[in-house]
Amino acid sequence: MNFSFLKQRSALASASLAVALFSLALASTRVSAADHNDPNAVNSIFSDVPIDAADLYDFFGFPSDDTTGGEKVVLALTFAAVPKAGVFDPDLLYRILVSPEPRPAPINPDDQSLGAVLKHIEAVKEKYVHLKPAEVRVTTNAEGRATVAFLRFPGGDFSRVVEMNKSVTVESPGGHKLKVFIGGRDDAFFNDLPGFFRSINYAPQFYHVPHAMTADRELKIPKTLIELEGNTLFNFDPNNPEHGQGVKLDLPSGPLVWHGDKFHRDAKGNFRFVYSGKDAQAGKNINAVILELPLAFVTPSPAVDRIVNTWGESWVLKATHKVPNIADDRAPVRVPFVLRHPWVLPGVVLLLGAVLVVYGVRAWRARSRAGRIPLWPALRIAAGALVIVLGATGGVIAGQIARQKPDLAKRPAELDEQLRRYKLVDTDGQPFADAALNERDDNRQLGAYNIWLGPGFVTRLAHLGWGFGPSISALGLETSFDHDHSPVSVYKTYTSPVAAFPRARKVIFQQLNMPDGSWNKRGLPIPLKRSLEIFVPNVCAIDMDTTGTWPYGRRPEDQVATRFLSLFLDMNAEIGGKKYNIETLASQALWDQAPIEPKTPPNPLKNDKEFLKEFPYLAAPWEPGY
Amino acid sequence: MGAGLLSRGVSVRPLMPAARLLAAGILVMGAALVALAEETPTAFSRDLARLDASIARLASARPDESLLSLLYARAMLTGAPDDFRRVETGVAAALRDPSPPVSLICLHAQLCLQQHRLPEARRDIEHLAIADLSPDIQNLQADLALQEGRYDEARRSCEALLKSGPRWDALARLASLHALVGETARAGSLYAQAGDELTAKQMRAYAWIEVQSGLLALNHGRLAEAEGHYRRADQAYSGHWFVEEHLAEILGAQRRFPEAIALYEKILARTPRPEIQQALGDLYVYMGRPDQAQLWHDQALSGYLASAARGEVQYFHHLAGFYADVRQDGPEAVKWARRDLELRSNFAARDSLAWALFRSGKFAEARSAIETALASGVRDAHVFYHAAMIGFASGQADEGRRFLEQVAALNPRYADSFHVHR
Repeated sequence: MNFSFLKQRSALASASLAVALFSLALASTRVSAADHNDPNAVNSIFSDVPIDAADLYDFFGFPSDDTTGGEKVVLALTFAAVPKAGVFDPDLLYRILVSPEPRPAPINPDDQSLGAVLKHIEAVKEKYVHLKPAEVRVTTNAEGRATVAFLRFPGGDFSRVVEMNKSVTVESPGGHKLKVFIGGRDDAFFNDLPGFFRSINYAPQFYHVPHAMTADRELKIPKTLIELEGNTLFNFDPNNPEHGQGVKLDLPSGPLVWHGDKFHRDAKGNFRFVYSGKDAQAGKNINAVILELPLAFVTPSPAVDRIVNTWGESWVLKATHKVPNIADDRAPVRVPFVLRHPWVLPGVVLLLGAVLVVYGVRAWRARSRAGRIPLWPALRIAAGALVIVLGATGGVIAGQIARQKPDLAKRPAELDEQLRRYKLVDTDGQPFADAALNERDDNRQLGAYNIWLGPGFVTRLAHLGWGFGPSISALGLETSFDHDHSPVSVYKTYTSPVAAFPRARKVIFQQLNMPDGSWNKRGLPIPLKRSLEIFVPNVCAIDMDTTGTWPYGRRPEDQVATRFLSLFLDMNAEIGGKKYNIETLASQALWDQAPIEPKTPPNPLKNDKEFLKEFPYLAAPWEPGY
Repeated sequence: MGAGLLSRGVSVRPLMPAARLLAAGILVMGAALVALAEETPTAFSRDLARLDASIARLASARPDESLLSLLYARAMLTGAPDDFRRVETGVAAALRDPSPPVSLICLHAQLCLQQHRLPEARRDIEHLAIADLSPDIQNLQADLALQEGRYDEARRSCEALLKSGPRWDALARLASLHALVGETARAGSLYAQAGDELTAKQMRAYAWIEVQSGLLALNHGRLAEAEGHYRRADQAYSGHWFVEEHLAEILGAQRRFPEAIALYEKILARTPRPEIQQALGDLYVYMGRPDQAQLWHDQALSGYLASAARGEVQYFHHLAGFYADVRQDGPEAVKWARRDLELRSNFAARDSLAWALFRSGKFAEARSAIETALASGVRDAHVFYHAAMIGFASGQADEGRRFLEQVAALNPRYADSFHVHR
């Protein structure tokens, strides 16, 4: 018998099969680029992740200064300029979600407990799981035209095809004039990102760290605003001044830790700032979707709905839809058991109640027959009935919540027809919500629905506080974090918000002072914000009665990176006869007097290009851009 | 028409230069069209160009981890032995550093798995697992377990990874493990889920998933379905030799020989891998053209032996198969099969040894070896076929018949269709 054509085949073909899988997952072209830190999977800071059009950078939102014809709100979503500034990737879909509401009541200032944090999170959760936000959805084609769909706004759904890289005015069916710009602009984010990464000892900015090396991201070295003595991995190296600012080294093997016990001081006794004050985004471009919408288009009650909650999302076309006619189903992200099976626990409770009732009735009969007063059986029946009512109520509530899931938790069949063809990649609401608080985890890109991450917000703030707090104290400033007078930054993590909360209480609850009253343009009794209200939910909440400066929205000229650091300042303290505020760290006078080098605010005070006074507000792109 | 003109005494001579000119024009246009078709960039050629540009940018610098990663990506894309040797040399040099970066160890582990050097891969992965247990390291652990025949462990690793959410790579690994034990429907569903996790930015991975789904269909004799998957893979990621090689196989299996041969020759012109040379030789044998097979088989053997002479081990498995099936040289097949089994104690290596022993006439030993292969739980028509033949040769006719029934149940077209050595 000739077996020569019956060649070997196995279901598990060869070693190369499995390895090919791994390599397909990892192999990609490295591109050095600016990054504003969002989900790690599209974060080109990793040595093996290319720059990605799905990587959202910033979300800006503020009331337009132009009130001709009524109030208008400006929304701008920026993202990586891929393939290049002004040219969009046709596989991407961008959404800007919009949800107007009256200004919510502030957190009760008399209750600064962990319970109050959880209560706030619960209240936000209750609101957001029922939310059906309006949205602007943008897709582009290879010919350089964009389709903009306006969905669920009061005037009804409609869409328009618009030219890219040009400010255009679109008229809604209700006669509202909407300004639209879709195209390339100068990167409006001005920030010393390398300084921020140095402050959190973030290895991928300084070393070649592939995406797979999850333990080699934020190294287990105390976070700090001033350099640690002997922190050779991250301290400024005069022999390699560009290290971390474009120059990356191979990550050394061995324990990547720090064993020192003090901050570094130079011969003159000065500390060394981890920040340089330089604009790492200077000369760089982004792509953007910019809108200016009349408030009367956004809400039927513009006089009542003074807050416009907004956030952005990027979605990428699924491979199955790039090649048509292929079956499509995917597992959704995991939601809590009680929401996946809303009637299981209430069902058990109902059963328990029924058992109590049945036994109560039996006992009632027995006692009645014996001529005794059936007091206990009556109580048992009543308790059973109460348990049944509670179970039924719980089931109805859980069932309702379960039906109101965020897009990320929905099965494709539950999304609309267009979104079913895409996968959600990134969300953007508050600056630094991802980078500083969510640790850029791919599974934490929940946008407004970051309410699930509430407890993590407390533990993360405490972790950051142990790093930043002592370094703020060392500079002679007052901190809002309770670090027990630690002389040096400490690397400490928490698994439980219960343990973390007492330390971070003030960071979470203190009101953030504004530098002056200009933000409150109408002089209304608008309360100052607290960090808890800013970051949960992760939306840009634009207050139409303010200028929209952060945290009452976000204007392009806001130096949000420095303002974020001010969360760790004690807002009750004073400097120069003035209370600390969100701009204190941006004051050159403060740094001129501080025992530190270089004497500069942590981040640049203005953008490398002047912003425009009119739509589209962000400056024209640099030529040639990246 | 010409005859008609001639019969009417009209000379066509004055028209001849114009006709020649026309013919030449058609030829030139045809050639231009062919050239244009050849030069139309494919997904493969675009990725290769991008990689080469990135490599060129870094080439003047010290060969660091970034450059080596790019070289590895190129090798994985082209499958060219020279590319693998280049990255292998670079990694070996970089690892002489007393404290090499972790990412370099990760790269070395991948290379070792790719090249069947499992002890080295194991050492690297154990080292990596101490420092980090990221999903990608867990995937490497699963791959190692798979190669070493620890299938339950590999399966548990994949299932554990999937508990934290769907990942296409873990789903695909799990699919291959289900396919191994004959759970075809589950495997198909997992491949579909894996494909659904991929985006338009991962079309190469998507093509790979489609090829695996095609193989699943092919292994059960569903040729049209397999071809459908391969065509979609080609649509998803055009110009990839890996996809085209599978398309060539299915064309051969469907007896579309001229198309299959043309495609094999096209692939070999770009990617002269010995196993593809052997596949074309096998196709000629299947077609009953042994003389043409000889040329390709000789080239394949030469490639395998040259690799072994360089100290590489990844073709031991192919050498065992080649000597058993092409040369029908039992002792030589046993030699390579044993060397392969020393490296990888998985069912494929055990089956390979059993078949080599069968070729050597050592039926009792062959029976013992095939039993160990079957003990892994594998349900594969090819292994069952070997078990049947070994059963008959050992005088266990009932056992042989039983295995042949299983072959027919798994793949009704197994006996009469062309298959490639993998």
